[in-house]
Amino acid sequence: MHESLLIACTRGPAASALASTLGAGLLALPDEVDALEAWREREAGGAKCARIAVGLMHGREISARALLGVDPASWLARAEDPIARWVFALGVAAARCWDDGAIVAVIDRPAPLDCAGFAPESAAADAACALVRSLARSEGARGVRVNAVVTSARLAPATPVAPAPPLASFPGRLEREVVGAVRMLLADDASGVTGQVIAADCGRTW
Amino acid sequence: MSARVVAVTGASGGVGRGIALACGAAGWHVWIAARRAAEGEAVARGVDAAGGAGRFVACDVADEVSVERAIAEVVARDGRLDAIAHNATSALSPKPTTLRDVSLADVRDHLAVSLRGAYWLARAAHPHLRTARGAYLLLTSEAGFEGKARLPIYAAAKAAQRGFARALAREWGADGIRVNCLAPLANSPAMERAFALDPAMQARVLGRNPLGALGDEIADVGAAARFLLSDDARYVTGHTLMADGGSCPVT
Repeated sequence: MHESLLIACTRGPAASALASTLGAGLLALPDEVDALEAWREREAGGAKCARIAVGLMHGREISARALLGVDPASWLARAEDPIARWVFALGVAAARCWDDGAIVAVIDRPAPLDCAGFAPESAAADAACALVRSLARSEGARGVRVNAVVTSARLAPATPVAPAPPLASFPGRLEREVVGAVRMLLADDASGVTGQVIAADCGRTW
Repeated sequence: MSARVVAVTGASGGVGRGIALACGAAGWHVWIAARRAAEGEAVARGVDAAGGAGRFVACDVADEVSVERAIAEVVARDGRLDAIAHNATSALSPKPTTLRDVSLADVRDHLAVSLRGAYWLARAAHPHLRTARGAYLLLTSEAGFEGKARLPIYAAAKAAQRGFARALAREWGADGIRVNCLAPLANSPAMERAFALDPAMQARVLGRNPLGALGDEIADVGAAARFLLSDDARYVTGHTLMADGGSCPVT
């Protein structure tokens, strides 16, 4: 049994790297959005954990595309389907988190300076952040903390808008900068921190 | 110079009506883009009475064809489109739920109106807004900043609009189109009913409001929207303006 659990969209390399680095068990979401209700029904009653990370990472790097070039099918796949996955993944996370536990969402979010071409991803990321804050409110009564770490590691343009980010390590790596922030928020040292969204993007977002 | 032409979705009542009437008071041509014809026609007459020119156009923002037809009708009749305010929101917006039990159908309904509607409007209106060097305004909410324990899907949809607008402002700046959000806290028949049923809610909502009252949907919220839709805000884009009496602690 794991004390920590990672709920991830797929068992791709990003999710595997996160789970491995966190020493967490991995619970994958179904590929089909239409299967999310049955998945939640099945998984919500699973073993509970004290610490849960939810990382619905994009399976691959996403290329910037102006909104007018995003066809309706792509819009659904890039904006609305990810939001639906966040709803159900965080619902299972809440159901499986012990009282006084901690949940951290790892969210792919383009930095505001670099978000041109990422309107669907920017919309989905802000929705996920709001879901985190809503969950922090609803679960706080039983001592559960809910926070988010946002990363632009897979959504950074090849040439970022000037000026350059403060840290040369921009946009950061999942296994180092992102996981470090996740550990910090999952730890008891963060016992007074909830409803926060922290950008682990080497100073790109403020 | 010809009057400014603006379309307001979900303007058959509430905040949308307030925006329409405030724009009418400036002498603008205001299109009430909504599903409910009788209510929309009444608001259009109110725009006339306020000093503008009001017209109703049938528009279901969740339907691509409906949005395209509505925008086409506006441009066919008035010859231009200077600005859009996307105010329509899902009928499920006030329905309490949690992430443990909300249905996928409800999630999709919220997103279809608030977010996909924003996408359809952007696609249909872009060439006209570019010609006019106009403005696109999305009505978001304090919920999109701070979340809501019992309305998490509504909060998510409203936050998604902010992320969408932030990116679109950067994409459309070169076309001279401004994209902003407005987060209002306004009086409405629905809010009055809710207060009557739950006095604790009234105390909760107004207790954190420095100005101590809900905003008037025309004078307070409508005027703020009109500013963002007008050339007075010609250097404002990618911004969310809070017209909430100082209620939301997140700025």
